[in-house]
Amino acid sequence: MEKSLFILLLAFILRLWLFNLPAIANTLATRVEVVTPITSFKRLTEGLYLYQHSVPPYDGGIFHQPPFLLVLFNAISTLPSSVIPIVYAAVDTYIGYLLTIITYDKQRIYEKFPTLQVEKGKKDIDPWTVAALYLFNPLTIASCVSKSTILFTNLSIVLSLAYALKGKTIHSMLWIALASYLSCYPAMLMPPMVLITYNWAPHQLSLGKQVQVSAMYFVSSLAMLLIASYILTGSWDYLYSTYGTILCLTDLTPNIGMFWYFFIEMFDQFRNFFLVVFQLHAFIFAAPLCIRFREHPIFVVIVLSGIMSIFKSYPSIGDAALYLGLLPVHGEIFKYTRYGFLIANLFLYSATLAPIFWHLWIYAGSGNANFFYAITLVYNLGQVLLLIDVVYAMLRRSFDIANPQALGKEVIQR
Amino acid sequence: MRYTRISASFIVLCTYILTTESKLSGRQDSFEEELLISPLDDGKLLTHFQFTTLVELDSSKEKQGKLSHYGLFPKAIGQVINHHNVQELHLTFTQGRWQYEEWGYPVAQSAGTGVELWAWMRADANIETNWRSLTNTLSGLFCASLNFIDDTLTSRPELSFRPEGSNNSYYHNRHMNEGVELRYGHLPHENVCTENLTPWLKLLPCKSKAGIAALLNAHKLYDTNYHSMAIHILPVCQDDACTVQKLKLVQTVTSVLDPVRDTGRRDWSLTSLFDRDIPSYCPVSERSSVMVRLPAQKESFQLSPNYEVITGKKQHNQKNMAYYDLKKATEPLNLQMTWDEESFLYPAEPLKPGIVAHKYLTGYGHERGGVTVNIFNQLNDSQEIDYFDSVPWYLKLYLHTLKVSVLGHESISQKDIVKDMYYQPAIDRSRPQVLEMKLLLPPNSVTAVSIEFDKVFLKYTEHRPDANRGFDVGPAIISAVVPEHINDMAANEFNAISKHTDMEALSQIKVYTEILLASLPTPDFSMPYNVITLTCTVIALFFGSLFKLLIQKFEVVEDEGQDQQPEKTT
Repeated sequence: MEKSLFILLLAFILRLWLFNLPAIANTLATRVEVVTPITSFKRLTEGLYLYQHSVPPYDGGIFHQPPFLLVLFNAISTLPSSVIPIVYAAVDTYIGYLLTIITYDKQRIYEKFPTLQVEKGKKDIDPWTVAALYLFNPLTIASCVSKSTILFTNLSIVLSLAYALKGKTIHSMLWIALASYLSCYPAMLMPPMVLITYNWAPHQLSLGKQVQVSAMYFVSSLAMLLIASYILTGSWDYLYSTYGTILCLTDLTPNIGMFWYFFIEMFDQFRNFFLVVFQLHAFIFAAPLCIRFREHPIFVVIVLSGIMSIFKSYPSIGDAALYLGLLPVHGEIFKYTRYGFLIANLFLYSATLAPIFWHLWIYAGSGNANFFYAITLVYNLGQVLLLIDVVYAMLRRSFDIANPQALGKEVIQR
Repeated sequence: MRYTRISASFIVLCTYILTTESKLSGRQDSFEEELLISPLDDGKLLTHFQFTTLVELDSSKEKQGKLSHYGLFPKAIGQVINHHNVQELHLTFTQGRWQYEEWGYPVAQSAGTGVELWAWMRADANIETNWRSLTNTLSGLFCASLNFIDDTLTSRPELSFRPEGSNNSYYHNRHMNEGVELRYGHLPHENVCTENLTPWLKLLPCKSKAGIAALLNAHKLYDTNYHSMAIHILPVCQDDACTVQKLKLVQTVTSVLDPVRDTGRRDWSLTSLFDRDIPSYCPVSERSSVMVRLPAQKESFQLSPNYEVITGKKQHNQKNMAYYDLKKATEPLNLQMTWDEESFLYPAEPLKPGIVAHKYLTGYGHERGGVTVNIFNQLNDSQEIDYFDSVPWYLKLYLHTLKVSVLGHESISQKDIVKDMYYQPAIDRSRPQVLEMKLLLPPNSVTAVSIEFDKVFLKYTEHRPDANRGFDVGPAIISAVVPEHINDMAANEFNAISKHTDMEALSQIKVYTEILLASLPTPDFSMPYNVITLTCTVIALFFGSLFKLLIQKFEVVEDEGQDQQPEKTT
């Protein structure tokens, strides 16, 4: 218990301390790797300013965040300005705490599952280690200190997962609806959440019934959020300004994803085609992953979060922080991963070179856009390899559990 | 007998037709030409040509405000404004920058570098189509790139611009402002040259064959420090109740020439300036005059031929003008002015014209920056001004970073300066930002208006062919109604003497700031294929690998050394 309190307090204080260093906080708040046009706190401030001065914030090309955040920060702005860092630090720490709960629940459920011979008698990963891995991940800290609003999406996803594991369909669907409302892509996490409640909820329903009930909750919460937003802003303009920007990519500000340079360089006549292909590509993995890993829906949530972080239109390191934080929940698969060293190096390589190449292109003028593009490609390659590796590890471990006799023999895929 | 009666009635009929004909054919039109030459304090020479055509508007109900007959009024212009429902139109082509601190205020107010077009158009359902069509038509008429004034450059100022027709109708006659909407567009990156002057000259009744327009020699006209060519069309009231309206077409050419550059002396003559003299007046003109502003008494000079002196009527406007009536002249006029001095000495002290403004970019790098406008109020009274700035969408302004402060007086709060504000956010690829403010400038102060922006990353097709040159950003415009004596540099004298003082309110001024060059981040223009290939490779790598993992099953290789092993694939 002392250890847990220590971790949470340390994480909280560390964040507050960093918020108080303007050099770090202000730099992070403007880095393209950390904030995107749809999560930037500066743009939120602008939207809030326009809103408070009765200029319609969605009638313009600068503010692309949903009205809920506008209302939330409108309320916060009446409080002293020191409240905002506290809110961010507290939310991030709370996500860390939720991760321990998720890990506890997952380990409780997986106790009944068959395990490998070598794992028998060994303790699983300590839930507080999972929290610490999330809370002291530099990506998490940077994203939090930059005041990126992706934090609220991450919170909603983690809350939804935690409630799903507790078997609370309503709460789970409400939070995943909020996450979808905040940044659109988390809608694809709804099926695995349904699977979690279906698989492990205390009151078992049939699959069809569970899907029906969940879908109803999900759709009605989402509709309520959208209608409430309409009432708050007085027009439907926000729909295009938020989701239109996410889906149509009107703002081509660079980020660490793969969309921006592709669509800067795209020939106009193929733009729409590739836009549709890229956006569909991000969503298509939900169904096959749910089918293949129907016994491990938490794992599906993790992989889909990873896919979001690579293939969404405006990814930032905040998205990576979420799935990197969730990965240790399934810590037992790490012994099957093959490319750990390569992936670690790719991450370090891009973390070092991204700021340098950005500087060379934008400020020094001695490099061009290709430099930064190349480094985002390397970063995404690292993430792609990581996802493939964990999916492989999961499948390989399941195979070994199902076929103990195959131990020590050569196994191939065909 | 019968034959005579018929012939008599025929003659009567003919006379009737002829008189009506002459009435319809524009005998009521009038045309005036004027040239003002004014030595400026820094040795340069201002020449301002002004041609005014007046025509009566149809007062019948269904053709309210339309032209149906053309005499002296150019049909090309008449049809354009009729067709597009334009009430008032101002089009200015400017090359170079007007130096307010050295030359005072210009005679013609519009002085922003590039092409400026603004029009009051009747607000009906087709106004957007009309505006687009108007810019395209004028583009064809004046051989300029006016068609580039599309939605992304068009703004609708709310505070700064007023209809200028009918003796400043806004102040006298508010109803003229009803049912019309303003559209404003500015092309800062537009070169003005002979191809624009030629169609402009064709609008004059005498072209450049006779009258003072004969001086408009393109070879000399564009070899100047500043050049501005404008066309203003505005309705003017003929009585207080505004029952009779006339349409007025004012064409101006303003140039600032530099005689000192060649000889070190300020001496000039029409032949040295334009390579020509004035052969005669334009025969259809009602008035044809040349005026030269005479320097202060203490300076000694000769001006030939002999002239008539006119003294300004206004109390504080005691400067004299030399007046030449071309209609009385018998031989071609070649003015000549010489100064009794060895060489010209530049004045050490700049003029203090009252209100001036400078605009500049702040920040570095291609990611973000800021714009700062310093507004100097050199008057001893506080002065209310209207500030207007239209910033293209590719510079994303953050309104919450707007700061208005008086330099050196940080205690004065923003609320005391900013009296009113209008802001329109930009929409990507379709609308610029418009920032307008009513500011109250403290006496003898410098007010700084600053705002931050993000630079937008454009698609590679949206960059100009010379992408690394950067994008031009139009000027900020400061308009103010100042005490009359502030504005007596050139405009006042000219307007006081000129019969038609109703083009602008005497004391209204507009100050245009510099135009800016903002460099935007550029992609590598040679990369489309490479980027498509590389990005798709990463996506395909993920899709392929995951697909394989998801659909294939693991199998144990039972016995080594048998057939299966060579077939092993990964």
